[in-house]
Amino acid sequence: MLAYSRTKSIGVQKQGEDRRVVSGVLEDELYAMACELAVHWPTLTIESAQTKMKRFSTSRCPLAESVFTKAEGWKLGPDLDARIKKELGRKGCRHMAVLMVECLRNLVRAEFAREFKSAKQKEPKTDVREFLAEFYSRYPSLKEYLRLQ
Amino acid sequence: MILDFQSNSLTTVEQVEQGLWLVTTRYDDNLFSAEAVLTVRFPTLDITRADLTVKRDVLGLAPDLRSAAENLVGVRIGPGMTQIVRGIFGATSGSDRMADLVLDAMEMLINALTVPELRKAMDAGGVSLAQGKEGPKVQLNDKVIGGDMVKLMAQNPRLKDSCVAFFGLGE
Repeated sequence: MLAYSRTKSIGVQKQGEDRRVVSGVLEDELYAMACELAVHWPTLTIESAQTKMKRFSTSRCPLAESVFTKAEGWKLGPDLDARIKKELGRKGCRHMAVLMVECLRNLVRAEFAREFKSAKQKEPKTDVREFLAEFYSRYPSLKEYLRLQ
Repeated sequence: MILDFQSNSLTTVEQVEQGLWLVTTRYDDNLFSAEAVLTVRFPTLDITRADLTVKRDVLGLAPDLRSAAENLVGVRIGPGMTQIVRGIFGATSGSDRMADLVLDAMEMLINALTVPELRKAMDAGGVSLAQGKEGPKVQLNDKVIGGDMVKLMAQNPRLKDSCVAFFGLGE
């Protein structure tokens, strides 16, 4: 018998040259929530963060929504996951922090995928490891952040 | 607006027999698809079997995961598990993504074991959530754990200051 299940679904959009938008939803037995973020590219800065606690367990859970706006102005980089979990997860909601971390990581994967696909279209023999090194040279703070393997 | 990248994950937790749980996490995005299946003994919460499968790897970067899967056997779900799992994947196969997947599966078992406790708290201290005129047309939170029960739960050292619900209440 199924005791518990959780789904997370995340989608990324490119809105113009310098704006990336990611939206994610999480649903499980206890919670339903949504997270939407706009990131300025290539400064990798979170411009806007909005979260919605849709279904929750305690009367105080909706207070978490205002906590997550503190991420506005933060930059993508190796310390971001820990900062979101510590500063926003503990004072807001641990589950929303997990969703926000995954949204941002997918936003960066999407950028890599988009640029790699474009490079392959121009030069079919593009080597993934060489492209990855070139990608990191343009975005050094993503080297410890982008997890592809 | 049409999306140009998507990811979906599903974790399921089931009790397959008395004292034995099965946790399955499946992840899919445009570049990568993988599954982690853990068999966990209860109440000791140690992993007795781990199966890790990469189903699609567009970039061809996924390492061999066999030794990592073997090293997960015996790992206990509980305090310190993050460091242990990261160590296993960092040392043997270098797959942060699979480490994330395995840790996700382990945390979902903890969540599954928490659900009955929260149900009890809801039954004992459930309250109606006050809604203003601008409240939703369809109510998803007709009953939530309220005031006194939240304060009582906040005294639990594991919950104290763990999130906004309990922050500052466990004095």
